[in-house]
Amino acid sequence: MQRVRQFFRYDNIGLLYILPAFIYMMLLVGYPIISNIILGFQDVTVKNLARGTKHFVGLQNYITLFHDEVFVKSVFNTLLFTVVCLLFQFFIGFALALFFTRKFAFAKVVRGLTMIPWMMPMTITALMFKFMFSTDVGIVNYILKTLGIISQNIDWLTNSKTAMIAVIAANVWIGIPFNTILISTGLTTIPQELYESASVDGATKFQQLIKITIPLLRPTIESVLVLGFIYTFKVYDLVYVMTEGGPVNSTHLLSTYSYKLSFDLFKYSQGSAVANVLFVILVLVGLLYMKITMEGEENV
Amino acid sequence: MSDIYTGSSHARGVISVEKAPEKEIRTRFPVMTEGQKNVLYCIISVFLLFLLLFPLFWTLITSFKTETEIFQIPPTWYPHVLNTKSYAAQVENGDFNMFRSFGNSFLISVCAMIVSVLLAVPASYSVARYKFVGRKAVMLGFLITQMLPVSVLLTPMFIIFKNIHVYNTWFSAILADATIGIPFSVLILKNYFASIPKALEEAAYIDGCTRFEAFYRILIPVTKPGIVVCAIFSFLYAWGDLAYGMTFILDQEKRPITAGIFNFMGQYGTKWSYLTAFAIVAIIPVALIFIFMQRYIISGMTSGAVKG
Repeated sequence: MQRVRQFFRYDNIGLLYILPAFIYMMLLVGYPIISNIILGFQDVTVKNLARGTKHFVGLQNYITLFHDEVFVKSVFNTLLFTVVCLLFQFFIGFALALFFTRKFAFAKVVRGLTMIPWMMPMTITALMFKFMFSTDVGIVNYILKTLGIISQNIDWLTNSKTAMIAVIAANVWIGIPFNTILISTGLTTIPQELYESASVDGATKFQQLIKITIPLLRPTIESVLVLGFIYTFKVYDLVYVMTEGGPVNSTHLLSTYSYKLSFDLFKYSQGSAVANVLFVILVLVGLLYMKITMEGEENV
Repeated sequence: MSDIYTGSSHARGVISVEKAPEKEIRTRFPVMTEGQKNVLYCIISVFLLFLLLFPLFWTLITSFKTETEIFQIPPTWYPHVLNTKSYAAQVENGDFNMFRSFGNSFLISVCAMIVSVLLAVPASYSVARYKFVGRKAVMLGFLITQMLPVSVLLTPMFIIFKNIHVYNTWFSAILADATIGIPFSVLILKNYFASIPKALEEAAYIDGCTRFEAFYRILIPVTKPGIVVCAIFSFLYAWGDLAYGMTFILDQEKRPITAGIFNFMGQYGTKWSYLTAFAIVAIIPVALIFIFMQRYIISGMTSGAVKG
């Protein structure tokens, strides 16, 4: 008893405060992660989920996956989806952030309102974009036709060549506010005097952007991109509601394909294997993010 | 623009009168005053806002149109015939009733929020104040959890919930949704607790408070803004969840609104007047939170992400 008391005397009393959350997360997140890794090496399907006969099959699930065309396609799709989304949302977000740092009456209010897309349930965003991109009633087709860009309605979501474009558009819409707000915050940390002295020296606005803003904003840009990568790479609801991975698997991402394997085809182990691939990639990127943000910071 | 001549208003007036015509000739674009710039930027910003929020406007407009008007070409920019049936049907009996799902979502989100905040507040205080054994490992764990894709957790959670018999109940969604809120809240609140001067706590000890009393009576009230941020985000995460609600709850009458809408989309894919009305109703809590608590949201988005 004496030793127990001694242990909790100083800093270790913190353990008591963190214990409830720690146990909760261990049971509902820690344990599932481990059991998901194990599932990936087993042969669990709907047949033996309830009964106890689960065999270890080694790397069989992973070998099957790499011969699976849909899996390879989903890896490719996930990368394409992530990179294209990041590019668009970053540049649009950056431009908006630059615009909103100008001083005008509506700056704060309007910038605040642009945050709404980020807060909305993804299911709702997916519904709105599905409506806008629908073939006959979709406003997108109408606008493109009015502008003379297309002459016939495009089957955005039912054509395997164009479905990805619609899905990316929806995700960019969600991602813009996130980029805008983080870059805006980063911009406020740049001392205004730098710009003043630069313009005294005759630097143009563009030169100021290249020589002052971007270099000083580097830490922010890095964390925006890495975080954006993590959020985009694991997007699930949006794609599932808009296309369910179709048509002809053209929009399957690792996340949606994992769901399909587990809960539509009831191949739990294969679904877990796909999720593990996704997980490993995200953890690697996550560690990169931590390395970037922790530089110079000794406290975690 | 500069106030070098403020000493004499007369001199200033003279100079500006003399200079004005010169500028007109020299520059290709007329130089704008601060006031004109302000107006121009305001107009641009309103235009940008319209462009960015267009999907929302369009959904709102559509939800008040009749089905025939929605299918009309060219589309109408406002409802010519006001149709509120899609909203009324949501509280009436029948297939279009979303009231129940809305209630389910609300219940699930509020409970998940309470669980998250109750667990996250002491945990974040602990990591901010005490350097206990394994502190860094725990922090790393929370950080990684934030980056987890739902698909990693779905199957194992599904099996766990079946085994502990909460599958197909609200509890399953509440338990699962709180796992998103907790790590986020811990990481946010940690910064709030760390920013409180230690002296405040020590003063409480001198006044005879125990450690727990100091935490409960002094520190929690001081970190209230941070706790509000966490509560809002935990609520929003749960409100927006589809994967958990859809996977762990099978009965339509227990499912959250996101799953209800998704289900409806599968059954009545082109009933856009109903679908858009559902969308608007599902956004109402988000809009209310936004209107009343905007400053908390921005602080949550920035501190949560940048500080990691």
